[in-house]
Amino acid sequence: MQMKTMSKLKFVFLFLMFFITVNEFSPQSTDPDEILEGVKEAFTKIEDYEVDIRVIIDVDFLKVPDSEAKLYFKQPNKIHVESEKFALLPRQGLDFSPLGLLSGKYTALYEQEDTIRNIPTSVVKIIPLGNDGDIILSTFWVDQSRNLIIRVESTKKPTGTFTIDFTYEKYDDYYELPSKMEFTFTVDRMMFPRGMDGQADDEDSNYKSDSKTGKVYITYTNYEVNQGLPDELFETENHESK
Amino acid sequence: MMTGLIKIELYKIFKKWRTYIGFIAIGLLVAIIQTAMVFEGQKSLDFMTRNLQDSFLFVGNLLNGFFISYLILNMLAVHIPFLITLVAGDLLAGESTAGTYRILLTRPVSRMQVLTSKFIAGNIYTFSLILWLAIVSLGIGAILFGFGELIVIKSSTVIIFDRNDVLWRFLLAYGFAALGMSVVCSLAFFFSSLVENAIGPIVATMAVIIVFVIVSAINIEIFSSIKPYLFTNYILSWRLIFSDPINTSKLLNAVLILLGHIVLLYGVTAFIFKRKDILS
Repeated sequence: MQMKTMSKLKFVFLFLMFFITVNEFSPQSTDPDEILEGVKEAFTKIEDYEVDIRVIIDVDFLKVPDSEAKLYFKQPNKIHVESEKFALLPRQGLDFSPLGLLSGKYTALYEQEDTIRNIPTSVVKIIPLGNDGDIILSTFWVDQSRNLIIRVESTKKPTGTFTIDFTYEKYDDYYELPSKMEFTFTVDRMMFPRGMDGQADDEDSNYKSDSKTGKVYITYTNYEVNQGLPDELFETENHESK
Repeated sequence: MMTGLIKIELYKIFKKWRTYIGFIAIGLLVAIIQTAMVFEGQKSLDFMTRNLQDSFLFVGNLLNGFFISYLILNMLAVHIPFLITLVAGDLLAGESTAGTYRILLTRPVSRMQVLTSKFIAGNIYTFSLILWLAIVSLGIGAILFGFGELIVIKSSTVIIFDRNDVLWRFLLAYGFAALGMSVVCSLAFFFSSLVENAIGPIVATMAVIIVFVIVSAINIEIFSSIKPYLFTNYILSWRLIFSDPINTSKLLNAVLILLGHIVLLYGVTAFIFKRKDILS
């Protein structure tokens, strides 16, 4: 009888241990708002930063030399860019601020678990509310263990769909910040700038496709985080440094 | 001997006030465009690149001396030939109008030497006009806007050239433009050998250019087949220099075609001039 009671207690103990262990090692929430709040909160420990960026543009119709610039960011969404030469930078995700990516009112829906570059992620869809913004629909792949956005896919009017992939590294053994960003977007033929001479160039007549996919690779180096950047810096326009 | 003759011809060219119309017109045109660009340039550039700016943030200044010089060079085919014909059309016909043909040819120099010296002097004027265009375009551009990266928007590509990769392209482009204008000079020179009044060669040359330019611009199959034979089709081939990579075989082909036109027109003019019955 005593043996039986002992066996039952042992079973209950093992069950409880298993339950606690499973919950401890799988803290994956399926609440989309909780997931996104976690990401936003993790980013709030970064008040400002400055970083050197190198931009490589790989777009079929766009031939631009690789450019280097210095990016300054301050919460909640101030950015300033300085470059010795002309630089072309993607508008979306440059400062990788979740507050910027998740601005405005929206409805969030948890979709599924997914693995991106061997990182387990939770997929959350964002449907913006109201007609003010340009974003029609966004999907976020969030690494909940680190509260980091690994990938964003958005459909924006009128520019179409773009995807941003982030690769993170730890800086000062504390801040996890992107070391690389890959921006993929589609370019519609109709959106192409009008030629300054107004004439077709025979040399370019091999261009047949109506839409193209382009990529922009950004490498982030030499982070300086929470140095107390002055607000005045962000009042000036983005410019070339002399 | 030839140097002396060329100097005399240049003296005759630069003694006439009409020679300076070209320099004044180019100086004014460039100054007006550059001034307009100070006020409206950014708006025009934003308009041209607004689709790109929807997706990209522009850091730095694309409205610079290189960009404006490129725009001005694009106007070359339309405006500058007229300024060249004003002088080139007068080179031979002017002697006839002034009644100095016979006096000129009684000097102890051959007809070919007289013709060649006039042809070279006409081309020196043409080259100096393009050189003036380069100086005022780049010079005023540098003063008003400075230099920077050059954006070139073609029908299906946008190229942004590094500022260190632009000046040599401009030097080549102005050189090519001078070659193209030299064909115009040769054509006016040819017409000048046929008549005894300078108005005829000026009007005839401009008529040929206008007809050729219009035929080149209309996309009809029958015109497309004759397009490669029109020299005006190659005058703007300097645009190939602002490509990446440069289509060198196409560029060389354009250079050879333009040189061929110059040689042919000079040859025909020489043939006519040697047999010409000089009556005035």
